[in-house]
This record gives sequence, structure tokens and C-alpha cells, in this order.
Amino acid sequence: MSEKIITVGFVGNPNCGKTTLFNALTGATLKVANWPGVTVERVEGEARYKDRRIKVIDLPGIYSLTSYSIEEKVSRRCVMGEDVDVIINVVDASSLERNLYLTLQLLELGKPVILALNMMDIVEERGMEIDLHRLPELLGNIPIVPVSARKRTGLSVLLHAVVHHSEEEPHGQVMTYSRGLEAKIAKVRKALRDKYGEAADSRWLAIKELDFDEEVRGEYPLELPDVLDKSYEKQIINEKYDYIEEIMDECMVNKDRKAALTEKADKWLTHRILGVPIFLVILAAVFFLTFTVGDFLKGYFEMGLEWFSGWVSGLLESAGAFGWLRSLIVDGIIAGVGGILTFLPNIFILFLALAFLEDSGYMARVAYVMDGIMGKVGLSGKAFLPMVLGFGCTVPAVMATRALESEKDRRRTILITPFMSCSARLPVYLLFSSMFFGKNAMIAAYSLYVIGVLMAIFIALIVNKLRPKELENALLIELPEYKTPNARTIAIYVWEKVKDYLTKAGTTIFVASIVLWFLLNFNLGGMVADVSESFGASIGRALVPLLAPAGLGMWQIAVALLSGLSAKEVVVSSCSVLFGISNINSAEGMAALSGVLGAQGFGVLNAYCFMLFCLLYTPCVAAIGTIRRETHSWKWTLGMALFQILVAWAAATAVFQVGSLILG
Amino acid sequence: MTLSEGRIGAVYQVEQVMVKESVARRLEALGVNEKTKITVLNRKRRGASIIRVRGTRLALGKPITDGILVKEAAE
Repeated sequence: MSEKIITVGFVGNPNCGKTTLFNALTGATLKVANWPGVTVERVEGEARYKDRRIKVIDLPGIYSLTSYSIEEKVSRRCVMGEDVDVIINVVDASSLERNLYLTLQLLELGKPVILALNMMDIVEERGMEIDLHRLPELLGNIPIVPVSARKRTGLSVLLHAVVHHSEEEPHGQVMTYSRGLEAKIAKVRKALRDKYGEAADSRWLAIKELDFDEEVRGEYPLELPDVLDKSYEKQIINEKYDYIEEIMDECMVNKDRKAALTEKADKWLTHRILGVPIFLVILAAVFFLTFTVGDFLKGYFEMGLEWFSGWVSGLLESAGAFGWLRSLIVDGIIAGVGGILTFLPNIFILFLALAFLEDSGYMARVAYVMDGIMGKVGLSGKAFLPMVLGFGCTVPAVMATRALESEKDRRRTILITPFMSCSARLPVYLLFSSMFFGKNAMIAAYSLYVIGVLMAIFIALIVNKLRPKELENALLIELPEYKTPNARTIAIYVWEKVKDYLTKAGTTIFVASIVLWFLLNFNLGGMVADVSESFGASIGRALVPLLAPAGLGMWQIAVALLSGLSAKEVVVSSCSVLFGISNINSAEGMAALSGVLGAQGFGVLNAYCFMLFCLLYTPCVAAIGTIRRETHSWKWTLGMALFQILVAWAAATAVFQVGSLILG
Repeated sequence: MTLSEGRIGAVYQVEQVMVKESVARRLEALGVNEKTKITVLNRKRRGASIIRVRGTRLALGKPITDGILVKEAAE
């Protein structure tokens, strides 16, 4: 027996549990959620069964092997290519009828296929039964393995089937089309054979020729005008569904019992009038939790930081460390990085809430609820999903635009997604709103989230006015069943985000704090005693005239904003370093900072303009890098970055000027 | 009548799918074919709808529901 590594590709409809199964088999911790289109790239991992190594490829979900969006092309190219030995067709048993359509297509490829029948527990809950003896008989006797990806059952049976099946001849022909179509298939096969030689997948190619599939027709052009007189795609689809109806009649028992709970909930959650208000209330609840519960936990972190800072300082002093080294470590690194760590509880709660939102099944409803508003700016409600993800982080949000069908829609969505207030901006709001807005801090911060959404829609509206386009891709999205979020899924989701945050604190923010410390403690003549003579101050002062109309005319503020390009949290950590405050998120830290700022005439209005500027200006370098990768254009990316600075400046200036008039 | 005029809770049978070619194929792959029975679960005033078809729920924008011709069907 050969010890070749078996390569397995996961193919299935969106949201049928491929990634959950992938995580279960490989021990990976990829993001999983309950809406179609979470996975947008192929990911590889490895599983083992006894002594065999199995390479597993997780792919974006697809409804058919005809390619429309980027993710579908990725999946199709992978399964049709040489590298996949066995296809695991992951099927959501609770919507078997629709899922089997893709199955029938996969069976035509002529590769070994194993059906992983996922979500059998839901089928049972609904009182339905699937005849597991009859089903394989109707599908060419391929192995059908009931699994539960969430409960991790059936996994070793599945792997056993993979090993066993990779060495067997693939199944024969599964379904027979009507006589007319079969005659055409036979003729096209013969023509293919005559022109291109024998091929294992000749039936598949012949069907795709009759489908008028662009890729296949480009690769294997045929001159058969009387057989290929028009596209038979529609007829082929219809006959497949006819066959599926036969299967359902034979294999599905009690199929009419419905998922009552989901539809009852949807009556309200997707209500024609209440839908949008309910969404806004849910968002408000997310931020309310982020602020209150997060703040409750924050105190402990501050105490820890204070103790640590004092301990290190004392240690360095007793060790006789140089003054500059102590300053670098205590005033630069601990103040910068530590200051950021005290926001971890808020970040944790924010992602916990977002994880619940994503895993509950509500996300896809947001696309429907927002479809009317998005339609006014030439986008479909689906474009709103990446925007919601933008509340977490712009990087995955930009990547999620891959689920959109057209390149134009993608670019427009990418342009407006950074206006959605990401978690990195949260520390800025938390700090400045608690310092200047007292009891109204939460309202001030929530208003920024709302302004972000409104600005995104407003910009899209303007773009649509300048370059009107028809709504090309109307909303078409599956709404999954609501379910109780899964503990493991939530844990993975939140842990990955917390890890990202800690990593960022340890890398980007760490380095930024050191760089900033140098800039603020040195000039051409060496170390300076007075910060205002440093490099940093010179750079900041150069920007002051530009920022003054927006109420941000302080060199320290200019430096903080500039350093925020590395990561938005750095705006806060640089404030610690700039103003020499060791524990910025504590009551004393805030009092000290607002004192320094207030002494220079920086008041409530300035603080609001500052937060507004942080919300709207160019996203961090990581986001810019992702945008460049996804748009393949430096020109477009840099243009966007510049545009966003202008928007931020214009908005902050308008608010400051008008606000100054009103407040006198 | 078009699907965009559907009544919430009513069951219809698809007569014709008259939308952009690529969208039509996509809908068909999702199981919205001629003679398929669909139930309107929710609808906005302008016509965007949520339908149940072949055991799953789909949300469809107005341009799509405008292009799906249906007739009333028995339960």
C-alpha cells in the first residue's frame, strides 16, 4: 500500500459547516459563524487517520459549480484541478433538497466523492428522518457519513471513508437526463474524444459544453453547431431538480414539519418597519455592554499596571540603570503598551458581543433589513455585511467583500468600510469621552459609531451621484436558521481577536512606543531635557497650522494622530508617552491628561473633533496593506487614504467652526 | 403577478424567471425553477422579500422579486 498523502477538498453550500468540520479534523481555529460567506479563501490543514496523513483543504461555500463570485471561482478551480484526490461534499442535512444540487454536479466530475451529512441533530429536532439506506442507492452508492461538526461525532468514520475510498474506482454515472439531452451528451463526448483524446471527466466536460460554460468552452472549443445550438443550462438545472425531487420523495420522511421558531423570530427581526430600528437597538446594546461591563473589569487591569510600573521602576533604580534606560522602559514602553492593555476588557466584551451576533444567524438578516437603504446608493444589502464586520476590524471586513459579485461593488464597499468604527478606535473614544463628557460619555462615543455608519452611506451616495450605476447585483442571500451560539465557536472567535490585540500591543504598539520615545527625547543635538525641543515636537509643529481650523492645533495632538497611522490604538499610547502619563486609563491618568490639555485650551469641542478625526481619517497600515492587496492597485489605495484624511479634516473643521460659533 | 406583489404567508408557484441571465441561473441553482412552490415569509413595502423554497429561506431584493412571475398555488 502506498503511503501517499491523500488530498481532500471540502466542498459544499455556504454555511453548511465546512469550516467547523475542518477545525474539528485538523485542530485549526479558523473563524466560524452562522451566515453564508464567512470563509473567503482556501485554507489547508492536516489530519491523521491511523498512519495515513490526509491533507485537508477548506474552501469557500458554493451553490453550484458555475462560477460567479471570486470565492466560487476559488472553490471550483480547486476541485476541478488535479490536486484533490477525494472530494468531501459537506451537506447540511436540514436543507438537503437544495444541497443535493451541488452534490449531483460533483458526482458528474468523475472524482471520488464522500458525502458528509452534517447537522443531522437539527433534522432530528425537527422530527424529520432521512432514509440512509435509500439515499446512497440513489447517489451512485457513494459513502454517506452522518457527522456533527459541532459535537465532533462521526469524524473517524469520515476519515476512514476517505482512506478507504481514495483507493477505489470512482462511482459510475449517477443520474440520467431526458433522452434528448443524453443523446446530445453522447454526441459531444464523442466529439471531445475525437478531438482531445480520452478523458476521465468527459461526461462532465460534455455537460459543461452544453451549459455554455465559458471556461470549458475556452479550453476545449468544439465545432458542433447542430448539437451545441444553444445553452442547455436551464434544462440541465431543471432536470437535476426533478431528480432531486424524486430523491426527496423516497428518502425524506415527515419533510413538511417546519422550523417554526426561526420564522416567528423573523416576523419581528425582519419586519418592514421595525427591522432597521431593531438593528440599531442591537448595535446600541453591543456598545452599551462594551462600555459598562468593560469598564467594570478595567479597574483590575489598572491596578495591575500601576503595581507593575512601580515595581519595574524600583527594580531599575536599585539596579542602577541609566536614567535614559529607565525612561525608555517606564515612560516609553510600559506607559505605551501597558496603557493599551488596560483597554483589553472593553475589547473583549466588544468581540464577545460581535461573536454572538455573528453566530446567532442574525447577520444575514441585517443584509435584508439594510437592503432598502443600501439600494439607494447603488449597492445591495449584502454589501452591509463587510461593514458590520468593520466594527471589529477593517482588515477582515475588507477581505469579506470578496463575497460580492462585481468588482465595482467591491471597490465601493471597500471605500466606505473603513468609516465603520473599528475596535482599535474604541480606546480613543473611551479615553477622551470619559475625560471630557462625564456622564454623557457613552452618548458621545455612541454618536461616533452612528456618524461612522452615516458617513459611509453618505460617501457611497455621493459616489453614486458622481458615477451613477444601476444596481447590478440585487440582494440574493440565504437566511440560515437561528441557533444558540456555540461555546466553542465563540471561544475561538474571541480568543483569536484577543490574541490579535495582545500581539499588536507586543509588536506594532511596542515599536511605535519606542520610536515615539526617541522622537520625543532626542533632536539633532542628542538627548533633550525639554520635550518641546525634540524631533517629534518639530514634526508636530509643522502640522499645527493645518490642524488648527479643526480645533486640533497642538503639536502633541498632531504627533498622536500621525503615529495613529501605525495602529489606531497608538493614538492613545502616544498620548501616554507624549504627556508622560504612566497609567492613562485610570482616574488619575485621565485627570492629569485633561489637566494638561485643558491648560492649553483643549476643551469639550476639541475633544469631540479629535474623536471625529480619529474615526474618519485613514485606517492603519495593516488595513491599507489589505486594501492594496484586495484592489490590486496602489494608485486607488493611496487615493483612498488621501481622500479619507480630507474627509476627516473637513468633518472635524466643520464641527469645530460651527460648534465654536454656537458655544461662543 | 410578480413575486414583489406577493402576500405574506401565501404560497405561490413560479411561472417564469425573467431577470438578468446570470441571476436567473443563480436562482435556478438555488432551486427557484419554473413550477417550484414558494412561500412568502416577509415582504417590504417596495417588494424585497423573504421566501421559503425547498426547505431553505432566501432574501431577495426588489429587482429580483419584480422579475419572478408567479401564480397563486394551493397549499
